[in-house]
Amino acid sequence: MSETGAETGAETGAEAGAVVGAGAVVRVMIVDDHPLWRDAVARDLAEAGLNVVATAGDGSEALRRIPAVRPEVVVLDLQMPQLDGVATTRRIVAEFPGTRVLVLTASAERADVLEAVKAGATGYLVKSASREELLDAVVRTARGEAVFTPGLAGLVLGEFRRMAGSSSSGGASGEPESPRLTERETEILRLVAKGLTSRQIADRLVISYRTVQNHTQNVLNKLQLHNRVELARYAIEQGIDTPPPPPPP
Amino acid sequence: MTPPVDAREPTWPRTPGEGGPWRAIDVYRVFTLGYAIVLFVPDRDAFHHPLGAWAVIGVMAGWTVWLAVHRARPTWLLWLDLAVSAACVLATALVDDPDRVARGAATLPSMWAAASVASLAVGRGWRAGLAAGLLMSLADVVEVWPDVSSRSLDSIVQLVLIGAIAGYTADLYEVGRQRLARATAVEAAARERERLAADIHDSVLQVLAYAQRRGAELGGEAAEIGMLAGQQEVRLRALVSARDPGPAGETDLSGLLSALGGPLVSVAVPADAVPLPAAVAAGVLAAVRSALDNVARHAGPGARAWVLLEDEGDMVTITVRDDGAGMAAGRLEAAALEGRLGVAAGIRGRIADAGGTVGVTSAPGQGVELELRVPRRGTR
Repeated sequence: MSETGAETGAETGAEAGAVVGAGAVVRVMIVDDHPLWRDAVARDLAEAGLNVVATAGDGSEALRRIPAVRPEVVVLDLQMPQLDGVATTRRIVAEFPGTRVLVLTASAERADVLEAVKAGATGYLVKSASREELLDAVVRTARGEAVFTPGLAGLVLGEFRRMAGSSSSGGASGEPESPRLTERETEILRLVAKGLTSRQIADRLVISYRTVQNHTQNVLNKLQLHNRVELARYAIEQGIDTPPPPPPP
Repeated sequence: MTPPVDAREPTWPRTPGEGGPWRAIDVYRVFTLGYAIVLFVPDRDAFHHPLGAWAVIGVMAGWTVWLAVHRARPTWLLWLDLAVSAACVLATALVDDPDRVARGAATLPSMWAAASVASLAVGRGWRAGLAAGLLMSLADVVEVWPDVSSRSLDSIVQLVLIGAIAGYTADLYEVGRQRLARATAVEAAARERERLAADIHDSVLQVLAYAQRRGAELGGEAAEIGMLAGQQEVRLRALVSARDPGPAGETDLSGLLSALGGPLVSVAVPADAVPLPAAVAAGVLAAVRSALDNVARHAGPGARAWVLLEDEGDMVTITVRDDGAGMAAGRLEAAALEGRLGVAAGIRGRIADAGGTVGVTSAPGQGVELELRVPRRGTR
């Protein structure tokens, strides 16, 4: 459907709206195979004063353009032709440490969302989120905060329960201990999933906003670290753990 | 939806005599015919009626050729095959020297006769194979009567075993083939659904989500239209992403609850399916629905609600929270009397039917929270 249009259409549009701001303006890249969405999101963010440095129609195009435009935040759709969102996230996180990934998707493929977050995305928003929610999420992602929507909190809670369940029943020795949530982390995740804001959670638990943020950030780190360990172990088991080729001079 | 037939379907049909065991039986028939001739020719002059014996060999050869050419194997033909083979066995008694028969000479068809037993077994299953083996054994016994030797007993055991084992193996194969065909059909249906889902994601969902977003920005009537578009987006999304139903009689509760999401309702579920017995899942769904209705009715216009589904293995917990005014703890019972939680009676009833419990908590300014806990019995 949009496979052919995506490549060429991506070059136009949003770059005109790029705002050369003073210092603190967030540099954003929008990656979505749907032109309608790409342009709407780019326009909204540009109108709000963000610097939309590039747009791309699929993952491989995004990876080609990131070195030139150095975005702080990549707003990424998950279902795309060429390179899908999960693989794109993995490569952005591995190759461009200064760039954070915010997943924005209409997809209800919860497994995909979870995979993207495990691969290193630090936030997830559904496309039905309002313009304010999107803006807030982009700014917070740029600040390095985890953007935990209730939906993502539910997914992450479920994933930690699944890992706990499979490691206790499997009981294979030699397996690395799967990560656990502390009681406090579980408590906070449940409150996030039930729609409380970080501020409300801080009030209810009588802790600081910063502490709430640290806890959610920790949860994400545990999940992503575990995922990297699993991937490495898998690579070694499969005998495909070859060192990466040296970068071209 | 009729799934397309997979091209990798096994080619081993039971009745049209093509391929697989049928071909093997035809080959067996040809070789054992050769063996029968090799046995007969050196001894041909010992026969009482050599011409008659030649005639029996001729019938066997003709029958072998006819069956090799005519591939269809209707049931009547299988039994006719058995009758022809048995007749050849019996004819041996008429054409051979009674002394040779009494000394335990092989019948004219010898091993050739077993082909008809195997055919019936493959074509009609192990019971028919067993019956054919017994009938052929009877013919063997009649042929040598009254000089039943240990050699006749050996051949009886062999014939019965051939019939039963070949039939049983063919039955097993048939069951496996049917299962594979069913699995292939299910897989094809799943692929088709994935294709549809990807298609709908690329087109309809994007436009609906966009309409909702633009509508909310424009305000007024456009916002209402946008809201409707948003609701439809969530429904359609839940529909196309519905996962495999899992074991019979179970329903994925996360799929059911996800469909309740909308602009004002957020639904948080695990990535994996949360299977529950269908009746329990339906009860929980109805309870969550009335809780959400309750929010819409009592928590004020524009109140939002959050549904959280957690699978704890032996227990499934569903939390429904709203951001209405909430209540001080002491007011809860009074509120229940006022009917603020009137629907809660219905919710409690439904969850109690499923063997679960309902907890209500409220913090001022943070809405009301219903916690439904349902045990999972015997599953997992």
